[in-house]
Amino acid sequence: MITVIVIALALCAVVLFYMAVRSRRKHAVQSLRQVDLAAFHTLLDRDDELFLKRKLSRSKFVGIKRHRIRVTVRYVARIASNASTVLHASEGARLSPMPEVASTAAQVMDLAAQIRLQCLLAMFKLSLEYAIPSLQLTPAMLVPAYQTLRENVRRLGDLQTQNSVPLANAI
Amino acid sequence: MPVGSLIHDLWIASIALQCLLAVILLAKRSWRKHPMFAAYVFFNLLQTTIMLSGHWVPTAFFYTFWTCEAISIVLGLAVVREIFTNIFAPHAALRKLATIIFRVAVVALIVLACGAIYEQSLSAKTIARVVVVATDGTRIVELGLIMFLFLSSSAFGLHWRQNEFGIALGLGTCAAVELINVTLMTHMSPGGGEVLSLVRSLSFNGSLLIWLGYLLAPPERPTTPVDVPKAQLEQWNQAVMELINR
Repeated sequence: MITVIVIALALCAVVLFYMAVRSRRKHAVQSLRQVDLAAFHTLLDRDDELFLKRKLSRSKFVGIKRHRIRVTVRYVARIASNASTVLHASEGARLSPMPEVASTAAQVMDLAAQIRLQCLLAMFKLSLEYAIPSLQLTPAMLVPAYQTLRENVRRLGDLQTQNSVPLANAI
Repeated sequence: MPVGSLIHDLWIASIALQCLLAVILLAKRSWRKHPMFAAYVFFNLLQTTIMLSGHWVPTAFFYTFWTCEAISIVLGLAVVREIFTNIFAPHAALRKLATIIFRVAVVALIVLACGAIYEQSLSAKTIARVVVVATDGTRIVELGLIMFLFLSSSAFGLHWRQNEFGIALGLGTCAAVELINVTLMTHMSPGGGEVLSLVRSLSFNGSLLIWLGYLLAPPERPTTPVDVPKAQLEQWNQAVMELINR
């Protein structure tokens, strides 16, 4: 039994390495994608969900809720991807000889890292809700943190005269 | 071409590649950034040189070979630790959590390794077999930790520097093949064992080529953000709104 597990582990590792190489090539052209926070807010609105729950049959509500979750997952994935891009883009600024730029970049990186963690948590919660649609778990804490990140990136852009302003606008 | 002769040729090729890798590590001063990896490479080169030199008494060869293997595995684990430290060094917010998960992963892998060692040790009659079983266990820990590195960096959205990615990829590929090799060794006929040795040599040479490739590749250019076409976003937004208002 253990032998089978060990061989499976080794084969999983080979697949994982292959996927990592492919993913690295893809991310060589890393892009920022806009996130419509108003739409995201709407998706997270529980009142909407309660309304649908009252008005629809259970099976139809479950179908729609799962559809909403799939869309929400795409938003969360987009925010996570943007946070990752910000992490990568801020690495250079963190080593800037100007203390204020370096300090703001460090703050931005910390915040982006926190958002990545929250996205992981949000994905976990959404997965649970997808499996059990009667559950009501909202990753609502994500929105204020993402807005703070936007503000910080804009501040970093103001401190640095190049490149970072388009970054802040893009997210 | 007989398999034995092919394995011998691959061994010679691996010596040439290891020498080249050592020269590049010294020339590019990469040993400063990756001291453990440099120690790992230099030790492997030393091991190969020791094994090549002179005619060995079988018992002396056995103990020397497995002692070198043990040191090589310990250095491999140190390389994994070095990569982990380098990846998470700039991310204070993630480091604490990642360290906790890393420790949990180490414990889980040690438990799995102990399970594997226990299961196989029941049939281990000779000291050679015991050594193989112990190697199997340590390879499980090594490979599991490399997998953890790839999974955690992907989950946290961290960017790997080119050299670190290459080092982890080469080490991981080598460890995966080595683990399969050690696990299947006892279940194989002598002919099958030769094939496994061939695969092992091929994978080690492959890892050396991966390390050389990533060390010699030109440095990465900084990424530039690309905007998504607005029309596409509007269409997407509209679809979401329709879904919500349905």
